[in-house]
Amino acid sequence: MRVLVILLALAVGALTGLGLTWLASARSNGFGAVQIGAWSVWPRSGTADADPYARASFARSGELPLERADGLLFEATKTDNGYTLDGRCDILIKGRLANARFWTLTVYDERGRLIDNPAERYTFNSTEIVWKQDGTFEVTAAPRARSGNWLPTGGRDRIVLVLRLYDAPVGLATRTGEQVDMPSVSQLVCP
Amino acid sequence: MKIDPLPIAAGLVIGGLVHLTTVLALPRLALEDAYTRVERLGSANQVHLIPAPTPFEATLPRLDPAFAHAVCRYDLRESPIRVTIPLAPDYMSVSFYTRHGLPYYALNDRAAAQRVIDLQLMTAQQRAVLPSDEEITAADRLIVESPSDEGIVLVRAFVREEGLLDATLARLREARCAPLG
Repeated sequence: MRVLVILLALAVGALTGLGLTWLASARSNGFGAVQIGAWSVWPRSGTADADPYARASFARSGELPLERADGLLFEATKTDNGYTLDGRCDILIKGRLANARFWTLTVYDERGRLIDNPAERYTFNSTEIVWKQDGTFEVTAAPRARSGNWLPTGGRDRIVLVLRLYDAPVGLATRTGEQVDMPSVSQLVCP
Repeated sequence: MKIDPLPIAAGLVIGGLVHLTTVLALPRLALEDAYTRVERLGSANQVHLIPAPTPFEATLPRLDPAFAHAVCRYDLRESPIRVTIPLAPDYMSVSFYTRHGLPYYALNDRAAAQRVIDLQLMTAQQRAVLPSDEEITAADRLIVESPSDEGIVLVRAFVREEGLLDATLARLREARCAPLG
């Protein structure tokens, strides 16, 4: 009986412990996320001070994170209003952007892979985009082609938007909220 | 049947410990970490171009598709390494990672004096035994200290438009990462 009790305790321990680790390392950029609208940024994950969860997650996926001095990676999986991004809908990314040398906007599937599309377009950058007269921009992520800045989503149900700011000012990610200009993310037409 | 709460409680405590230990150990245990992926491109202390990621294949996950990348897996056990990277037409950065993928340093094209990024990569011990007269000239030499014997240097070069890809790749092919001396 006593042996059974110990075995049960060990089994519960192994299961919860390994389960938690598996979940925590699956899709995580670590602690210390700063939320600006729909966008999350992990300022410390691109430094030697990255926390153990960020390290574990990057080691497992094999990703080499963007170093802080190089740039900052912002990720959005939801709209400003908290709806999960759906690649079958028209997703509008518009506004202006914090001061950086340039930026790129990329669509990934939920496993971090590019999405196959006939236009072979996976990304837009600030130098090739069509800007509006007032200095703002508008990108539409949508399954079907459209005029303007179109980012194909291949009609996947789950997508991740990744915005990378290169050579961004140091204070950017440590401030929260209003002072930082980040584009809004909204979902328009859904099937 | 009444379930004894004690083994469950003990199990959860053990679970917490298992969780903490495995998270801390994961960087050492991960099978498909960045170093292993880069190893497949070729030998150490040499620059290898990373093929552009496609929806079906990526050497490293989540590299920026707007960039061209080159990588050098280094091994400092024999001697320090000299890294020279001619600047590409557009933005360019060099990032340094430990054996387990932790970023510890990066610089970009602003830091390059001439049209080339030229630096020496060494461990703290190797730096400590640098001859003192070398230390004087070290002022105009960029030295990067690696916290580990092995690691990864990743070069990112921005390609703002398709037409600049060939020129950018040509510059990346001229990048060198070789033992000093």
